[in-house]
Amino acid sequence: MRNVARFKDPAPIPSEILDPLIAKAERPSRYTGGEWGATVKTEGDFSFCMVYPDTYELGQANQAVRILVNAVNARPNLRAERAYLPAVDFIETMRQEDVPLFSLESRRPLGSFDAVGITLPHELAATNVLETLDLAGIPLRAADRSEDDPIILGGGPCALNPEPFAPFFDILTIGEGEEATPDTLELIRQLRQEGKSREEILRRVAKEIPGSYVPRFYRVLDEAEAQATGSWVAPLEEGIPEVIQKRVWEGFAESDAWEPMVVPFAEVVHDRVNVEVLRGCARGCRFCQAGMMYRPVRERSAHNIVSAVLRGIEETGYDEVSLTSLSSTDHSQIPEILERLNGACAGKGIRISLPSQRLDSFGVDMAALIAGQKKGGLTFAPEAGTQRLRDVINKNVTEEDLFSAIDAAFAAGWRRCKLYFMIGLPTETDEDIKGIASLAQRAYDRAKAAVPPDQRGSVRMSVSCAVFVPKAQTPFQWDGQISPDETLRRVKLLRNSVKYRAVDVNWHDPKTSFVEAVMSRGGRPVADALELAWKRGARFDAWMEHFDEEAWRSAMADTGVDPEAIAQQGYETSYVMPWAHISMGVSPRFLALERKRAEQGITTPDCTFDACSGCGACPSLGVDNQLQATRSIKGDASKEVATTEGEVS
Amino acid sequence: MADPSLFRLRVVFGKTGRLAMLSHLEVARSLERAVRRAHLPYAVSQGFSPHMRIGFGAALPVGVGGMPEFYDVFLTCWVDPEEALSALQKASPEDLMPVSCGYVEASAPAASVACPFSTYEARFNQPIDTLVVPETITVIRKKKEKILPVTEYLQGDIEVKNGMARFTLEAKPTGSLRPDKLLAACCEQAGNGLAVTELVRVAQTVLPPTR
Repeated sequence: MRNVARFKDPAPIPSEILDPLIAKAERPSRYTGGEWGATVKTEGDFSFCMVYPDTYELGQANQAVRILVNAVNARPNLRAERAYLPAVDFIETMRQEDVPLFSLESRRPLGSFDAVGITLPHELAATNVLETLDLAGIPLRAADRSEDDPIILGGGPCALNPEPFAPFFDILTIGEGEEATPDTLELIRQLRQEGKSREEILRRVAKEIPGSYVPRFYRVLDEAEAQATGSWVAPLEEGIPEVIQKRVWEGFAESDAWEPMVVPFAEVVHDRVNVEVLRGCARGCRFCQAGMMYRPVRERSAHNIVSAVLRGIEETGYDEVSLTSLSSTDHSQIPEILERLNGACAGKGIRISLPSQRLDSFGVDMAALIAGQKKGGLTFAPEAGTQRLRDVINKNVTEEDLFSAIDAAFAAGWRRCKLYFMIGLPTETDEDIKGIASLAQRAYDRAKAAVPPDQRGSVRMSVSCAVFVPKAQTPFQWDGQISPDETLRRVKLLRNSVKYRAVDVNWHDPKTSFVEAVMSRGGRPVADALELAWKRGARFDAWMEHFDEEAWRSAMADTGVDPEAIAQQGYETSYVMPWAHISMGVSPRFLALERKRAEQGITTPDCTFDACSGCGACPSLGVDNQLQATRSIKGDASKEVATTEGEVS
Repeated sequence: MADPSLFRLRVVFGKTGRLAMLSHLEVARSLERAVRRAHLPYAVSQGFSPHMRIGFGAALPVGVGGMPEFYDVFLTCWVDPEEALSALQKASPEDLMPVSCGYVEASAPAASVACPFSTYEARFNQPIDTLVVPETITVIRKKKEKILPVTEYLQGDIEVKNGMARFTLEAKPTGSLRPDKLLAACCEQAGNGLAVTELVRVAQTVLPPTR
């Protein structure tokens, strides 16, 4: 029997209990806390814990956790701490020893915080959200929480279709949280002090903090009603918004690009200074959720960025800096930024990296600017094997772009290259699959030709494939995913089409992508399946060694959820999807128009280089693109390059 | 290796408290970052992957603390040791705190092999009067089982006083015996749930310590 009182005790868990357990855990440095740069704030009477629902090494560098902890700590009345889901071995220890999930700073049980925020980074973290709540001793469903349980906030990419998560959260914040999160917490604090009930507090948040989706104040409709009314949920009370529009932080471009950060002891992913150089991407790839989610495009100035990088190195002691964004080489001042940084860091052993580069603007120069460093593999992302299909997805990359990027990279010293493709994109045929093999082989030929003859043996080209997962709020949201069996057939076709032994083919397990699609496109009923899947042992679904297909399959069957229908059904663009009440500012009309253009193979230009494409984000959000200078295209199309440490998209 | 134009600063620090749970690699990375935060004029290696010229002392296992521990960092210009220490202290977490520093000869042996004799002190979860040391310890290295004769590494006996154990292990060029593995074997032999609660390296010496 778990000790509930202990879970709500606001005192820190004593070191005599915790430290011996941590000492026996795998990688104790995940749990020690006390990292350089961690803020232990004692003033402020309202406590908030920000959680990443996966292990420390995956979550430590997460931008949402970093930014929101800083934003909350900046308010005098509030204090913020961090927590991560422990690894499986330590979860078992904690359950055996009746130790609740605790924060790293004060080591207090999460259940004793006034509010807890959980970021929703991707669909396969869903069961981990429930694992987090349960390990903290917090009731899973908002409806079951009592007055003195923490208020549970959520947000992040998965909030674009919040329905599968809705019953487990008190509040879901849509869009950027820099202002919304601390404002929400201040309001909760004030109302708690006034002695208001949980119900009343949540009502006020729903009505007064824009961007807040408080599921308890909505009625879930059936399909017929939804199609007739244009939404799957309807407000139960006056003043509760029918459509929740995402928040945009208008101050982003002007704000200090140096976001103070924690320097971990443990080796973590993205273990370096990360400076966010711009937000948003208007390239308009039709499968891409991030591209629709972060509009409009806002650039920080070169001065701001250079100063932030230098301060970041000074304050953290890192020897590597990454200029992060969805598309950093699109920054209108990127050559100036890189030249200044290369000059300032010369001779100090400091590396500057770009996680996601588009070589269309200055392929060879760019390769030279980042070439003075260790060369790992490069990742290019043509996404599709033929020009026809690349036009369908609006990727705007030509073969020639790819080849000239490869020429530049291999001439500059790189020897390994990974080509990233999606399988199962709308309208894909077997010709497109064979096109992947052909493109990869020709890319290999180009790479070999670009290096000295005695080094040609070391040239490696690999093809990496993932299954297309339809994402909410994109032009392809109405398109179904191909079945796992069909995916494997197409992978087999691809493998048989590759004749070169130096070109190897890797692919992502379609079983996990299938669950991803169910979570991505499902409505409210999926929440029950999610809870049952977790009860049957599903957790860490993104980890191949932990993914439990049977738990998911049986849970969906027993809750009456038809996963094939959810993941694979295609719809007309007039069909109302389960996330119709959530708005990114991009109009449904634009998404439908883009879907139609896809069918016709018509591309849409990027509005930061060209004319407005009429997506609707700027007028409805009241914020325009903010560029530091005019963006210019020197090539006529683009490609993406990521270093080995680059973002996984 | 010995570049006469560089200044080799030996920094003495403690691996204490919760940070005893860090691995050698984690400690090394953290020390390197502290040197950068302290703005010391560290030297950078030449080559394709330039990095800080720094040498770490003999590794400690996860869970084993140490005081004094040390590392050598090569500087491109002379800095007053007091100033260097104060800058490093401001840039270091409490549980990896530098306590002193001074220059050593460029030609001195590398920090990792400078002191082959390590003396440890251990506390236990119950009072003990004596510890029986097994003759051999079986360890797994590179997925192969290896049997280490304890006397090759252990100098003299494990001395038990006031419930605490004190012993010295010699690191050989061919490898060494981990202090935590040795004690775990002793505890297992003793049975009755005996376990180590704290293990600290208290001295590192060039020659075996005299009793």
